[in-house]
Formats: sequence, C-alpha cells, structure tokens
Amino acid sequence: MRTFLLRRLPSGLLVLLAASFLIFLILRLIPGDPATSLAGPDAGPEAVAAIRARLGLDRPLLGQYLGWLGDLATGRLGPSYAIGGEVADLIGDSLGATVELTLGALLLVILLGLPLGVLGATVRRGPVAVAVRALTTTVLAIPPFVTGVVLVLVFAVTLGLLPAGGHESILDQPDLGVQYLLLPALCLALPSAAILGRYLKDGLERALAEDYVRTATALGISRRRIVLRHALPNALPPAVTVLGLQVGQLLGGAVLVEAIFAWPGLGQLAEQGVLRRDYPVVQDLLLLLVAVYVAVQLVTDLVYTWLDPRIRWE
Amino acid sequence: MSAVLQVRDLKVEFDGVEAVAGVGFELAAGETLGIVGESGSGKSTTALALLRMLPAGGRISGGSVELDGQDLATLAEPALRSVRGRRIAMIFQDPMSSLNPVLTVGRQLDEAVRAHGSAAKPERASRAVELLDLVGIPDAARRLRDHPHQFSGGQRQRIMIALALAGDPEVLVADEPTTALDPTVQQQILRLLERINRERGTALVLISHDLGVIAQTCRRVLVMHQGLVVEHGRTEDVLDRPEHPYTKRLLAAVPRLAEPSTAAANSTPGPEPLLTVTGLAKTYGPRRRPVTALGGVDLVLHPGETLGLVGESGSGKSTLARALVQAHAPSAGEIRYRGEPLTRSRAARREIQLVFQDPYSSLNPRMTVGQILAEPLIAHRLGDAAERAERVGELLTQVGLEPDAADRHPRAFSGGQRQRIGIARALAPRPSVLICDEPVSALDVSVQAQVLDLLSGLQRELGLAILFIAHDLAVVRQASHRIAVMHRGRLVETGPADQVVTDPQDPYTAELLAAVPQLNHRSPV
Repeated sequence: MRTFLLRRLPSGLLVLLAASFLIFLILRLIPGDPATSLAGPDAGPEAVAAIRARLGLDRPLLGQYLGWLGDLATGRLGPSYAIGGEVADLIGDSLGATVELTLGALLLVILLGLPLGVLGATVRRGPVAVAVRALTTTVLAIPPFVTGVVLVLVFAVTLGLLPAGGHESILDQPDLGVQYLLLPALCLALPSAAILGRYLKDGLERALAEDYVRTATALGISRRRIVLRHALPNALPPAVTVLGLQVGQLLGGAVLVEAIFAWPGLGQLAEQGVLRRDYPVVQDLLLLLVAVYVAVQLVTDLVYTWLDPRIRWE
Repeated sequence: MSAVLQVRDLKVEFDGVEAVAGVGFELAAGETLGIVGESGSGKSTTALALLRMLPAGGRISGGSVELDGQDLATLAEPALRSVRGRRIAMIFQDPMSSLNPVLTVGRQLDEAVRAHGSAAKPERASRAVELLDLVGIPDAARRLRDHPHQFSGGQRQRIMIALALAGDPEVLVADEPTTALDPTVQQQILRLLERINRERGTALVLISHDLGVIAQTCRRVLVMHQGLVVEHGRTEDVLDRPEHPYTKRLLAAVPRLAEPSTAAANSTPGPEPLLTVTGLAKTYGPRRRPVTALGGVDLVLHPGETLGLVGESGSGKSTLARALVQAHAPSAGEIRYRGEPLTRSRAARREIQLVFQDPYSSLNPRMTVGQILAEPLIAHRLGDAAERAERVGELLTQVGLEPDAADRHPRAFSGGQRQRIGIARALAPRPSVLICDEPVSALDVSVQAQVLDLLSGLQRELGLAILFIAHDLAVVRQASHRIAVMHRGRLVETGPADQVVTDPQDPYTAELLAAVPQLNHRSPV
C-alpha cells in the first residue's frame, strides 16, 4: 500500500499545482478589485493605490502567484483582505460545521443509496418497485434549493419537528446537533443517494446475471443470501467509485445548502469571500477543497482494491 | 438397481418456443449417463431443467423430473432449494465465471456447506478443507484464503466440483465440465469425476458435445437432436451400432485421431518458403519480472501448405499469431516474407490475414455483412464503392453464402455461417497467408467439417498458406501437411502431420496425444 501511495503522490501534487494556478487566474479575471471594494465608494485613486500597495496587488501577477505558493509551502496563510482576521482562523472556525454537514450527508447517501439500489435490482414489480423508481427520479430531477425549501416547509413549519435552520455542534450537544443537522444533510444527500442507488442497481442486476449466481442457486443458497453475500460484493466496487465522485458534489452542494439553512460553514465563508473579492480567503478555501477531493479519490481507489481482490496496488 | 432420478416426457418452452420436446430417462444410483448433442439440441436446457434452473423466459411445460418419487417440476421453490445442492447438484462449463471472483474459495465453500445444515463455524471450516482435499487441491487449508483467480483453470473446475459435493448429493449433473479446459487437464477432471462416481456412488449425468468424453466416462448415452432423444442405450452399443440416422451422421463427422491427414491430397506446397520466422520472441510485463510468451520460435510456411500449430492454453499460440499479423511487435527475432524482412507497410500487412476463433464476438453486430467485408478493402484502399460491392458479392459466393447476405446483420446467421463470413473478411484483401486461430473450435462437429472443407477448397483454389492453430489434435492432423507442437513459448517438435501423431519425438507431444479422448477408449463397465 505504501508503494501505491508513493506512486500516486506526484500526480496528486501536480493536480494541486494546476488547480492553484487556475484558481489564482480565475479570481483575477472576475471583474472588481479588492482594493476598490475595501476603500469604499468615496475613496480617491490615491487611497485605492495605497491599499493596493499595502496588499501587494501592485506586484506583477506572477510574483503574486509565486508569493502565494511560497506562503502555502511554509504554512503561512496570512491575513484576509476584507473579512477580517487570519485566513487560517476563518477557515478553522467554519471547517468543523462543513465537515459535519458533508459527513452527515455522506452517511445518509450510503444509508439511502444502498437499500434503493438493492430494492431497485431485486423488486421488479409491485408498489415497492414503483415507489423506488419514482423516488429516484424525483430527487434527481429537483434541485437542492427546492428540496430544501420543501423539507423546511414540511418538517419545520408544518410539523414543527426539526429546526428550520442554524447550527449546533454535534460534538458539544449530540442530540441537539443531530436535529439541526438532519434537514440540511438530507437535502444535500438526496440527489447523490439517488445516483448511488442507480449505479448500485445496475451493478447488482449485472452481477445477478453472472454465472456465479447460477452456481450459488444450484447449490441451494437462499435468494436473499445470494443477493447480499454473493452479488452485492461484486456490485460494490464500481458503486464506491461513484460515491467518491459524489463527495465532490457534496462539497460543492454544501455552499448552496449552507445558505438555505444558515449553516455557518465553509460555503458561507466562500460566498462572503467571493462577494468581497477577498482573494486569500477564496484562494486558500478552493485549494483546500481540491486537496480534499484528491484525497477522497485516493481513498476511493484504496477501498476499490480492498473490495476487489483481483486488482493489485502494484 | 433402483432409479434415483426418473425423467418422463420432459418438455421445456422458451417464450412459447419448444426447446425440449419430450425427454425421458432413468438414472440408477451410482450410474453414469452421458447426454450428447450439438448446439441447439436441448441438452443444456435439459440439464438446467433437472434442477429447475431455467433462465428467464424458460419454463417446464410438461412432464416430470422425479427424484426419489418427488417431482421437481412441480415442487414449491423453498422445497426445491433444499433439494438443490443437497440431493442433486450441478457443475458448469466455465469455471472462471462460475466462481465468485471477489469471494475467497473458503467463503464459497462455507456458503455451500451452510446452505444445507447449520453446522458450527469450525465444523464448516474443516468440512471445506476436506472437500478441497477430496478434489485434489494441494495444501487445502492454506488455499481456502485464496480467490479464484489465483488458481489454474483445472483447479477452478476442481473447486466447482468441491462446491457441488458440499451437500453430498446423490446426483451430479455436469454441463460441459471440460470444454473450456486443455486436453491434459480435461483428462484429469474426467478421472476425478470417475473417481467420485466410483468411491462415493454419486450418479453422474455428463452433458457434452464431445463423443470422446462421453465414451470414456459414461456407461449409457442419450443422443439428443432438436429437443428430442433420438437414441438411447449402452455407450458401446450406440457408438458401435448406431441406429438412428442422426447418430450415424454425428459419428461420421467426429474427427478421429487415427485417421491420416488429407492435406497432401488437397494441395501440394510450393518449394520456396513464403513465410520464414527465426528466433521470434515476445516478453510481457515489467522489465524486472518479464513473462516470456514466446521464447525463440523458428518456423517456415510454404505456399499451399497448412501448418498445424497445437499446444495448451498459455503455450504462446495466439501470441505467435498476433506477432505474424503484426498486431504487436516481437521482442526479438525476425519474420521474412518471400525472403524479405516483413515491414509494417500496408502492402505487407495485406498479405497475412487472421481468422478468429469466436464467430459471435468477432463480427460487429451493428454492421451489415457487406460493411464487415468491405472494411478491410477500405482499410487497404482497394477499389471504389462499386468495385468493393462487387468484391463483397464475390467473397460471399466464394465462402458458400448467397450474395444477398451482404444486406443482413451477423445475428441472422448460424455459427458456421458466421465463421464463413469471418473467413470471407480475411480473404477480402487477397492475402497469401491465412492465420486461423482456433477457427472451428466454437463449432459443432458437423459444421466443423463443412468449415474445414471450405478452408481446404480455398487453399486448393487460391494456393493459400495456412497456419492452422487448434487444440483438437484430430482436426489438426486431418487438415495439416505438417504439425508444430508448442509448449511454454517454444516449438518442441515439428514434422509431417501423420508422423507427429503416430511417432511423436518429444515427450510433451506424447502426453498431449495420450490425453485426447477417443471413441474407442471405453469407460469400465
């Protein structure tokens, strides 16, 4: 496994480098300038220029880029331009909430996706089959901001079971934290759960048509055991790949869901950073997301090789 | 002897179409029965119907399958499950796909053992070791932790047999259990099945297209044709004195190892070699641990000559074929064509064409036959659209098909006809050398004979040099002027076809020849 990780390290670093360049470039291409927005509408050109000089924005772009990389390499994220405070502190404060949200959503994706896939592949007729198919299509077709509003309307406003928004750390107060987490996590998880369910269903259907299922049937093994113990292990590896890709979706979707549910996470921070052209905050945040994504892909590959013994790390 | 299995007037339908039209037989405890027939005869469907495991769309539409008085054709599904594996078990053709790739062999044996009886875990584990031991897997206890891909093909089939024996069944149904295996391995598996039948008294139903396999293993034989049993009796009676015309035809079509080569009567090879191969080698894999597929092969091929190439799977036959058509570059050695080094130019590639084994997967199902045959012409930039259309018609006539076949898709044709299309495609750019990689091994014996006739006719007519790769020694002897025997990437023997078969020089050739099941190798009565 160490060889495998070492072999993947250079390509991971390359991805990060390329991503850092793109992130840097795209931020500079967005119209607007941090100095202008910091100086305010009444400031004269001298004041703006002074701010630019203070932030180092008057340096050539390449110099700014290399400076940023240098800071990253030495672990100094520096102060934010507009929001206030150190970037490291800002990210650190919001990170926990987003990790909570995405992990909660990931758990729901698995908890919902697995039975959706298994039911989809094994129940072909009757009300359960119709319900599974309808549910899958519906949550795929409806965007999270609509699902979010509907969930709030039903569970918070009408039934009054769960809070409509806000955050309580699950580590400090587990019972309350879960109540706050449930709706946003569900809203975030539903589309990914439907996708996972679809892939799992297709994989299971393929596996159930394989010769080894015929062998198991000829041995008198029960249908239930054949599905769960013989076919499912074969359907899981491709589904894990999809799940890994869905983590990216969850991270991206978190921005939107955090806004709907007033969830104080990285998504909120990113939104503020973009609106106020706070380059350091947005740059570091996006690069962090890319790093998480690269790591998740690595973990996915490791899980895949663990699930499928035919594939070696070498 | 009392009958354990009694099948009466069994009928099977697939979406209304009758596949088995009334099969009946009795099987006594500890008996061996062979069911022989060509593809589409209904033999495999009969086998699956015995355990009521027909694929979707199939159902038993009549008759009964009585196992000790219990009719499996009408038994409820849960009761049926307790019969499957416990009283009647089945093994299948392809041991690779029939074993679960992601579960260890131990897990799969454990599943089979626990399906019938809830023995405690340590007991089940020791039973698994016992079963692997029984089928002759060395170091059984340790190998339980391995996955199917870590075993050889023969070992995988042994594991399949171990699984089937887990419930200690009275009847074992084996559907083409050795068809995917090499002759020497086939021989070992047949001996294992014989031993299990003899020592444990498990009755055996062996389904095969290969009369030799049945002759060697089964005391009684059932000949099936078009869903019906056309002949049924003691194996030697049926083989020596067939009564039904179909059985007679089938027996006549079986290539026999004892029959001399017909190649010399068909065409006389030219004096100048067409293809000269020297020291051809091919290695795969990382440089530190290379795998040698070809370890320095020398051969010559003359115009109008058929050189048979035999050897077991993994011996390098197909690697050699691919090197000759330049599908991959050799690691060392040289190929000369008419004395000149073979170049990668289009003209040089045109001269050597390949015919594939599987006429089903080697033709693109979305293309019409006309498009399939025109493709090499387009690739070699031969002729305009009109000329190509004319050539397609000519090719179809040449391989014995109607010219209007060009408008249809491969699915409209039978296996033999598809192989004719495959041959027509290889002939399209007018090559001088044809590499046939197992061209008839996917075909029934009667169709095999027709395709072999076609190939020899084409050789006579066009003076083709043919490299004929096959694992069936009887077919190879019949079709070849000379035979080359390949073993672990090397040619261990090359000589005139009849001489290699009757007077093998290399011990490996002798071993291969001894493993060929023959109609006169009878099972002990």
